[in-house]
Formats: sequence, structure tokens, C-alpha cells
Amino acid sequence: MPQAMSPWPARMDLLQSLSGLLLVLFIWSHMFFESSILLGEDAMYQVSRMFEGEPFFGKPYPLIVSGVGITIFVLVAVHAILALRKFPGNSRQYRLLHQHMGAIRHPDTTLWYAQVATGFCLFFLIPAHLYTVITQPENIGPYASSDRVWSERFWIVYALLLLTVHAHAAIGMYRLFMKWYAPSGVNAKQTRARMKVAMWCILVFFTVLGSASLLTYMRIGYQHTDSVGERYKPATVQDKGH
Amino acid sequence: MQIIYTDVLVIGGGLAGQRAAIGARRRGHEAIVLSLVPAKRSHSAAAQGGMQASLGNCLGASGDNEDIHFADTVRGSDWGADQQVVRMFTHIAPKAIRELSAWGVPWNRVQQGTRDITINGQKQRIEESAAAHGLITARNFGGTEKWRACYVSDGTGHAMLYTMSNQAIAAGIPVHDRREALALIHDGERCCGAIVRNLQNGELLAYVAKATCIATGGFGRIYRVSTNAIINEGMGAAIALETGIAQLGNMEAVQFHPTAIVPAGILVTEGCRGDGGLLLDSAGHRFMPDYEPNKMELASRDVVSRRMEQHIAAGHGVKGRFGEHLWLDIRLLGKTHIERNLREVKEICHYFLGIDPVSDLIPVRPAQHYSMGGVRTDHRGQSPQLRGLFAAGEAACWDIHGFNRLGGNSVAETVVAGMVVGDSMADYCDSAEGALQISTTLIEAFGRREQQRLATIANGGSGENAFELTRLMQDTMTENVGIFRHGDKLKHAVDTLATLQQRATNITLRSSARGANPELVAAYRLQRMLKLAQCTAYGALQRTESRGAHYRADYPQRNDGQWLNRTLASWPEADARLPTLGYEKLDIMAMELPPGWRGYGDKDHIAHPDTDLRQREINAALAELGDNADRYQRQRTLMPFNHLLPAHLRGHNERLGDKT
Amino acid sequence: MNLIATEEGPRTLQISVLRHNPQDTESTPHWQTFELEEAQSMTLFIALNEIRQTMEPSLQFDFVCRAGICGSCGMLVNGRPGLACRTLTRNLPDKITLAPLPGFELIGDLSVNTGKWMRGMSEHLETWIHQHNLEQTDIDRLEERMEPELAEKIYELERCIECGCCIAACGTARMREDFIGAAGLNQIARFRLDPRDERTDADFYTLVGDESGVFGCMTLLGCEDYCPKDLPLAAQIAFLRGRMVAASL
Ligand SMILES: Cc1cc2nc3c(=O)[nH]c(=O)nc-3n(C[C@H](O)[C@H](O)[C@H](O)COP(=O)(O)OP(=O)(O)OC[C@H]3O[C@@H](n4cnc5c(N)ncnc54)[C@H](O)[C@@H]3O)c2cc1C
Ligand code: HEM
Ligand code: HEM
Ligand code: SF4
Ligand code: F3S
Ligand code: FES
Repeated sequence: MPQAMSPWPARMDLLQSLSGLLLVLFIWSHMFFESSILLGEDAMYQVSRMFEGEPFFGKPYPLIVSGVGITIFVLVAVHAILALRKFPGNSRQYRLLHQHMGAIRHPDTTLWYAQVATGFCLFFLIPAHLYTVITQPENIGPYASSDRVWSERFWIVYALLLLTVHAHAAIGMYRLFMKWYAPSGVNAKQTRARMKVAMWCILVFFTVLGSASLLTYMRIGYQHTDSVGERYKPATVQDKGH
Repeated sequence: MQIIYTDVLVIGGGLAGQRAAIGARRRGHEAIVLSLVPAKRSHSAAAQGGMQASLGNCLGASGDNEDIHFADTVRGSDWGADQQVVRMFTHIAPKAIRELSAWGVPWNRVQQGTRDITINGQKQRIEESAAAHGLITARNFGGTEKWRACYVSDGTGHAMLYTMSNQAIAAGIPVHDRREALALIHDGERCCGAIVRNLQNGELLAYVAKATCIATGGFGRIYRVSTNAIINEGMGAAIALETGIAQLGNMEAVQFHPTAIVPAGILVTEGCRGDGGLLLDSAGHRFMPDYEPNKMELASRDVVSRRMEQHIAAGHGVKGRFGEHLWLDIRLLGKTHIERNLREVKEICHYFLGIDPVSDLIPVRPAQHYSMGGVRTDHRGQSPQLRGLFAAGEAACWDIHGFNRLGGNSVAETVVAGMVVGDSMADYCDSAEGALQISTTLIEAFGRREQQRLATIANGGSGENAFELTRLMQDTMTENVGIFRHGDKLKHAVDTLATLQQRATNITLRSSARGANPELVAAYRLQRMLKLAQCTAYGALQRTESRGAHYRADYPQRNDGQWLNRTLASWPEADARLPTLGYEKLDIMAMELPPGWRGYGDKDHIAHPDTDLRQREINAALAELGDNADRYQRQRTLMPFNHLLPAHLRGHNERLGDKT
Repeated sequence: MNLIATEEGPRTLQISVLRHNPQDTESTPHWQTFELEEAQSMTLFIALNEIRQTMEPSLQFDFVCRAGICGSCGMLVNGRPGLACRTLTRNLPDKITLAPLPGFELIGDLSVNTGKWMRGMSEHLETWIHQHNLEQTDIDRLEERMEPELAEKIYELERCIECGCCIAACGTARMREDFIGAAGLNQIARFRLDPRDERTDADFYTLVGDESGVFGCMTLLGCEDYCPKDLPLAAQIAFLRGRMVAASL
């Protein structure tokens, strides 16, 4: 009889998927909050204050944001370490893989590869973003963010991040579905095709949403070029000022 | 030359071979299986329709037992079978299926409650009993009284072979695949292994064994149009023949299956008709009832095939690009049934014809399908001429099929014979007779002889082409030794084959590729196949009667007076152009079921004077027994066979309806 | 019927075969192209035999059943794995490339040793019914009952013909030689389903609970898409993954 085996491969596989799932849920909600800028500077201001806990504690604690940022960072790190095991390990594997993909041109294998490639980019992009989030949590707001996007040229990072993370997330969700459930029976092919359509729809949706907000940040940032560093005063406060 | 020693050498990794090896292994003997291809790719995997065993579980099978299976089989064989062996077979078949069931074959099961079936073109509603729920079910097959073909969808052979192979792997039996036995090593009385060619690198090896079993399947590829795998070239039977000592039985008894698709010749199972499919002609007319009002599409294969050809000859064939054909109609079975129970059929239609049998007709025509003939053995599977040589499965003429095999009886035979022969070989190995005394000189001599034969082909010749000669042989057989035979054509075939044999000694290879060298393979196999073809053609020419699948247009009657016998072919002179034929009489006075009408096919035959005699004897014996005797007692009185069985296979088979 | 419907003149096919004979030390892998006139209902089985019989007698390839049943003839047709015997040339472009299935020991030209790989897999995963008293089964008695539906489900997974297409179609298998592939995982799923097999999930975990087993699979789905028998591989692997994770917790 075979010897007892370690339970860790199973746990790591589960953890990889769970961390991925959480990250996807995070980034999707993140997109809604962060695109509040589309509803106006005020909305974005309220959302950022909310995350700093103002509605609960009466005054903002930016450290909460740092805390969340660190948590996410840990999650990303765990996920990345687990997922990195799947990267081709050496040049031989890399060559074989490319040969294989070139010959077979199989859509789902290509999707997986897109996930690996985007994952690789995220490895650099996410820390860049999270670094600012964690170290300058107070610098989140309609003007501060827009300044960063425009005047500090962060829009380049965000544009890349936007595309890669949503591709990675949407593909990831489709693949999670196939990995843990995978339809069977007479309608299996149809269900899978539908999931794929859903994947593309989600991808397009978030890319459009994200692009729109990014452009908005850029516009605000551009208009705000002259007064970089100035913080946004919510409409109510501004009114008092008049 | 490397020499490998083992107790039991099984040549052939199909159902028969692997079961025999498992049997010997379980008795504590070392066994090695040789195969041309990985064992699970053997042609047994292609059997679709089912395996006959009289379980009697489902409604259509209720009341079935060994007696009815026996009678069906003997009638099917046109009384050519060895009735004692048929008895052994029908007795063991239920055990074989139950063993396979325990080993993992997912046999289709009886579902209690009502269900719609198609019989004679009509939908009928039947109800299966709760008592039978979950037991192995069966479907209807040609030439049988009861529904007896147990099945696994239409991948029966596949499921059986995989289970069997897995058991062989579990038992640690090595399969040396991509190796071909080229010759049997023997000293004139005793067989002790084989010279084998490694098909990957071309090297020769010797396998030395106490018992050697030939389980190499059929030889359909001597024909051009055949449902057989392309490896079914009969090399096992051929090397037995080439010993000059062992004899082949009934080589002229070749079965043609009614429903091979046109033009590929790929089989669609008899299950199509068993489940209610019909045969139609160019006018869309169902013609079988015109010829066979009783069994219609489900008469035995020889009869249906003949009727189809007859109908085509009468001008009712469908003219297509590849000649004429008829239609198989399974549309009436409905989509659900087809997709569930005839899945492979659907796949074959889809890939090879580009049609969907749910809505389209399938173009079919009879094609060579099964070789009833093979290495003649006694009831325990040993060659009566060459000790230490055994045979099982389609390669053998154990003789349960006589001149026509019933659908589903073949895979059943492979397993049953495997069980018996595995045991016989173990007994043989255990006996004093089995002790191996063989000189390496003899082994080397055989090795050198084969090496020499290969070298002659590789280096010599005067320009003949192996592939072309093979095609000529196949054409000759298909055109002249087919469903309808005639003295003139047979004579022509025998002459042509003789010329081809001559030409085959002058083959020149165009390729000297190292390793396997497929052209060399074709060349040496051709020389052997020609001998088998000649046994078939010459045997058919000599047999001036019609029996089972052997139909002589010039002698259309079955002639029990003269021909109630088994043809035995041997080839004592390697260079001879013709086999030596002998005949083994079938003794009516020992038969449980004396010859008569089969219940389908032509009614007129020339009876043997013993037939009436024996029938009277039987009637008297049964009358003497009285009405209280049970069916076992009655059977035992007429033709005892229990003593022939391996001891552990003698028990009665339990059935649902049994009174306990 | 479309057999009769296609009335264009015959095409000339250009079939390029990746050739290599490892038995011959001088042989190196190279492409050889053959031109051949397409015939009605021509399959790659027919085409390759014609090439061997009339042009290149040393060409090596494997066919056994030529009916899509035995799994011998898997090869890469225009880069994609499939059964050559049931591939009709009329569904292919004029230029066809044929290469041996990758991931298996090459015997020569298009012939690879899938059989050896599969036997190794079977031995490793013990693909047979494990029952402690199997040899004592009384075969005179009625067989054990089984739900008809369950029997059909088992057969659904039993249909694998060990052709190796799923292995050749799998990027993971290409990268990791020890990966048992969809064919192997399907076997485990099959025996897991079978009540006659007494093994528990913990037992199965010891067979496939690592990176060479179910956790090595990266859900590339080539197996599912190229299995010529349309086995529900993705669903089975997914299910097995779940069961194995449950067994580990
Ligand atoms: C298409 C088709 C469908 C069928 N359907 C049914 C059915 O539904 N029911 C039924 O009862 N019967 C059916 N039959 C018949 C039945 O499948 C066969 O008769 C039976 O499976 C033969 O089994 P076997 O073990 O004797 O030989 P096979 O399974 O043919 O095995 C022969 C073995 O011998 C090996 N071999 C051959 N020559 C050599 C050599 N020289 N050296 C080493 N090894 C060698 C081969 O590699 C192979 O492993 C069908 C047959 C065909 C063609
Ligand atoms: C707690 C952690 C995070 C916080 C608080 C946060 C906050 C923000 C904020 C405020 C913006 C607006 C631009 C700016 O202020 O710089 C933004 C943009 C963005 N963030 Fe995050 N983020 C977090 C984590 C992440 C992570 C983990 C990802 C990706 C994996 C991510 C992806 C993005 C992207 C793509 C944009 C650009 C949006 C657009 O194009 O509209 N963020 N984030
Ligand atoms: C450094 C950052 C990241 C890297 C290097 C990375 C890498 C990878 C890789 C290589 C895979 C494929 C693993 C496999 O197929 O088994 C993967 C899967 C996945 N990733 Fe990421 N990823 C990163 C960040 C993220 C983020 C931010 C998200 C969420 C938006 C995410 C969501 C997923 C999901 C859902 C999967 C599928 C999980 C699975 O297959 O088990 N990843 N990741
Ligand atoms: S799972 Fe499918 S592709 Fe894989 S070996 Fe089996 S039949 Fe072939
Ligand atoms: S292609 Fe390979 S990675 Fe998994 S889903 Fe199939 S086994
Ligand atoms: S030759 Fe058997 S599957 Fe192709």
C-alpha cells in the first residue's frame, strides 16, 4: 500500500484559489468605490473618508487604510508565492511550453498563459500602487489622487494595472469555475461557452469603468496642475467658505 | 540471441490470452504475455454488441438457461460444433460474466418498471420485474431464442478488455508488447516456446516455456473487405501451421457480418438489429421478412448476409460511388436510445460517413468478420498433435462455432476458453509431462532459421513488391472465397494463391530501414498469410456442400451424409504449395442434439442415416428417465460433460427463478 | 448524402511528416513532404498507407482498429492531437502536417509508445478493483446488484481508449514528465465511483494528492477539448480535486 502523503499540496491548491478569489472580490469592489469619482469629487471624497472610518469614529484614521493595504499586500504575497509555483520552472519547460502552445493554439491554454503573464506584471505593478497606499494613506482623495495620477505620472502605472489586473481577475474567475466545478452532462459545452462570454463581459465592463475613472482623475489632475498639494474641501465645507 | 524463460508463454494479449495468463498465474506459474500491440489495443476492444451468457435476468431472457444457449449455438454452427465443448462453454459462460462483473466490468443492468422497446418495427411497452432490478441485463441478438447478449452500452469488448488487462496488471503479469512470435520452437512432439521479433528494434529473441498458448485472434486480413483490425493477420495460426505438425480446423468456415459500413468496412454492431433496427433496400422496402419470415433481421449472420447479397444480386441494391449497398435503419429506435446504447455506432457514422443515424440511413454491406477456424485443440485447449501447445479464443478451433458463430458467442468464448486453458496449462506445467528439457542447440537452430528467413527476404528477390502481392491476395479472397462460393472460382483462387506464394519468395525490399522496417514485416507476414488463405480456399474447394457460413452455389445443400466432419489442415512440407487436408468425423451417435433444421435458412439438407437412429435413442433414454427427472439429469443421460470441466467450474449456475 | 454530393475534382494533398528513426544513429528529425491525390472518403489511415505502399516503405505509424476504437493512432495533425484513422482528409486543408504525439517515447516517425506510458500509469495508480476477497467471489451465485444508472456512469468514464491525446494536449504534461494527466485522473475518478472498489478517498489521496497528480493540473482544458471520446474530463478532475481537498482537511 502506498505510504501516507502530505496534506499540503491540497491545502496550497485551495489556498491559491481562495486567495485569488478574495483578491478578485476585493478588486471588483475596489473598482466601484474608486470609480465614485465619476459621480463627482464629493462622492469620491465621502468614500475615502468612509474608509478612513470617519462615519464610525467621528474623525478619519488613515491608518485603517494602511492596515487594509497591508492585509491585501499579504494576500497578494501569499497568492503570488503559491501561484508562482506554476510558472515554467526552467528554460527547458519554458521552451516546451512555447512549442506546445505554438502548435496547438488552444484557447484555454492561451488564457492560462495570459494569466501567468499578467500575474508576472502584477508582481511589479501592485507593490508600486500599494506602496503609496500604505505609506501615504492620507493622500487619498479627489485632488490628492488626481495629482498623483496626473502630476506624478501615476496614470501610466494605473493604466497598466487596470488592464492586467482585470484580465487576470476575469480569466481567474472563469478558470476557478472550471477548476472546482466544471459543468458536465449534455449541456456541458454550452455552459462553459456561456461562462466564457460572461468572462469577456466582465472584463470589458471593468476596463471601461476603470478607464472612465482614470480619465476623470487625469482630467481633474490636469485642471489641478497649478495647485498640486491642495486638498479637496467637500462641497458643504466649500459652501461655508464662500 | 537473448533467451527468456518462463512457465507459460501466452502469445496474444486479447481477452483470451490475458484470461489464460491470469488463470495460470493464479495457479502459481510464471506467465508472460506477448502482443503485437499494447494489450488494451488488441482487437477484442472492438467488440461492441455483447457477450452471450444465459443469465436469464431481464424479461426477454426469462427462462433462459444453458440448455437453450446450447441448442442455439449448435443450430447456429449448423451442427459443425463439438457438442461436448459447447456444453462446457454454455455452462461456464455465466460464471465468466459474473467473474468479470466482480472484477469491474460495468455491465448494463436491469431497470425495474416499464420501458418502450422496438420489436419488429413496432414500439412495445414491457415491464421489468423488481426482483431483477440491478442484475445484469441482456439484449437480443441474431440466431438466439432468448435475449442473451449481456452488454456494456456498445463498448462491451472495450470494457471487458480493460478490466481483464487491469486484472493482469494487478496480478503482475508482464506484457511484452510490440513483439511478434515468428515461429514455435518444438522438437517434433513438444512445443516449448517461440522465436520472437522485437518490432521496435528488429531483434530476435527466444522465449522458452513449458506451455505455450496461441491466442492471436482472427485472420480477417487475408480478405480485402473486413471488419477486423489490420493486425488480424492470423500469425498465431500460421506459426502453428508452420510447425508442420499442429493442425488447423475448419479454415474454410469464415463468417461475413451483415452490417459493415460502406466503404470503410467498419462494423456497426448486431445490437442495432437486436435493439430493433431494420434492413431496407433501394426502394426503402424491408426485405428480410420476405426471405426469413421467422427470424427476419435476426436470423443468424450467415443467413442474413446471404440474403442481403441475394437481394442485391436481384437488383434491389442501392447504387453508390463504392458499388452497391443496402440500408440499415435505426432511426426508429429514437435519439435517446441511440445516444445511450449505440454510442459507438453514432460516433462511427459521424466520423466515417458524416451522417447522424438518428435521422439518416446507414449504408451497409456484408464484410468478412470472423474466422471460425483456427488451431485445432481438444476440449482442454491443447493441440492433439503437438504437446505443450495450447490455443484459445478466435485463433483456436476449440470448436463451439462449427460453421457459423452466433453474435456474442465470441467474446464469451475468449473468456471461457481463457479460464479453461489457463487451468489446463497450469495442470500441464504441474505434471511430469510438463517438465522442460530442451537443448540450447535446438533453440539456437530455430533462431538461426528465422534469422535466415528474414535475411533472405531482406537481401534477395527479383523485384516483387510485398504490398502489392498482399493486395492481390486480399482481392483474390474477397472475390472468390466470399459469401457465395463456387467450384470454378475456388479453383481459380487456389491457383492464384499458389502463384502468389511463388512470387512471394521473390520479394525485394525497397527500404532497408533499421529497426522495425514495416516493409519487411509486410513481406514475412505475407508468406504466412498466403498459407492460411490457401487452407481456406483449398478447404472450401474440397468441401462440396453448404454448411453455415460456407455456402457453395454449386452444392447448395447441407450434406450430413458426406460432410458432417471437421476439416483439418496441416502443412508438413514447408515448400509445398498446398496444405494436407484430413477430416475428423462428427459422431452423431454421441450428440445431444442430432442434426436437423436450424429454424431459419434453407430447409432442405441431406440427412445422415444415424440421425434418426440417434433421435430414437434419445427419445428412449428420456422416456426411461421419466417426467420427474430435472433438466440436469436429462442432459447428463444424453451427453455427460461435467467430467471434462476443471473441478472448480463444475457447480450449477444460480438463477433468479431457481427454486431453492 | 454528402458522400455523393461533393463533385469537385480531386485535390492534391501535401502531407508533411516529421520523420525520425531513433534506431538509426544517423537519423535526425526532419520533415518529409509527400504529394498525393485525395480520394473519396479518404482518411489519414488510407493516406498514410498509400504513402507507405507507393512512396516511402520505411514510414512508421500505428494503426490497429482503423475505426477510432483502439487508441493506437494518436498523432499531431496540423499541430493538434487527434486520432488519425478517423480524420477525413476532406476536413483538412491542402497542406497537412503530421507529427508524433509529444510527451511519449518515440519509436519512429509517427509511432510513439503510448502503451508503455499507460501501463506505467496503470501500475502507479493501481487501476483495478481493490477488494480484499476478490479471489473468493463465488461465481456460481447471482452477481452483485448495481444501480443501472451507476453502471452507465461508470461506463461513461470507462470509455477512455488510452490514446494519449489528452496528454499531448496538456501543457502541464509537457512541462512535467511525472504528471499523470487527465487519462490517469479519469481512471481514479472511475474507480472512485465504483462501489466494488473498497478504496477510500484517503487511499486515493496517496495516489494523486500531489503535484504529479490532481494538484498538478492547472485547468488548461486541452484534455477536455481534444479527447476523441469526449470524456467529461474537466468535470471529473474538478470533482476529484474537491474530494481530495476534502480528504486532506
Ligand atoms: C468489429 C468487431 C466487432 C465484434 N463484436 C463482437 C461482439 O459484439 N460480440 C462477440 O462475441 N464478438 C465480437 N467480435 C469478435 C470478437 O471480438 C473476437 O473474436 C475476439 O475478441 C477475439 O479475441 P482474442 O482474444 O481471441 O483475440 P484478439 O483480441 O484479436 O487478440 C489477439 C492478440 O494477439 C496478438 N498477436 C497476434 N499475433 C501475434 C504474434 N504473432 N505474436 C504476438 N502477439 C500476437 C495481438 O497483439 C493481440 O494482442 C467482434 C469482432 C470484430 C472484428
Ligand atoms: C487597500 C488597498 C488599496 C487601496 C486603498 C486602493 C486605493 C486606490 C485609490 C484611491 C485609487 C485611485 C488612484 C489613487 O489614489 O492613486 C486606486 C486606483 C487603482 N487601484 Fe487601488 N487600492 C488598493 C489596492 C489595489 C490593488 C491590490 C489593486 C490591484 C490588484 C489596485 C488596483 C488599482 C487600479 C487598477 C487603479 C486605477 C483605477 C482606474 O484606472 O480607475 N488597487 N486605488
Ligand atoms: C503578484 C501578483 C500576482 C501574481 C504573480 C499572480 C499569479 C498568478 C498565477 C501564475 C496564476 C495561475 C495559477 C494557476 O493556474 O494555477 C494565478 C491565478 C489566479 N490569480 Fe493571480 N497573481 C497575482 C495577483 C492576483 C490578483 C491581484 C488577483 C485578483 C484580482 C489574482 C487572482 C487570481 C485568481 C482568481 C487566480 C485563479 C486561481 C487558481 O487557479 O487557483 N491574482 N495568479
Ligand atoms: S482521456 Fe480521452 S484523450 Fe485521454 S487517453 Fe483517454 S480517450 Fe484519449
Ligand atoms: S489539459 Fe492538463 S492541466 Fe489539467 S485540465 Fe487537462 S490535465
Ligand atoms: S487505429 Fe484504432 S483508434 Fe485509430
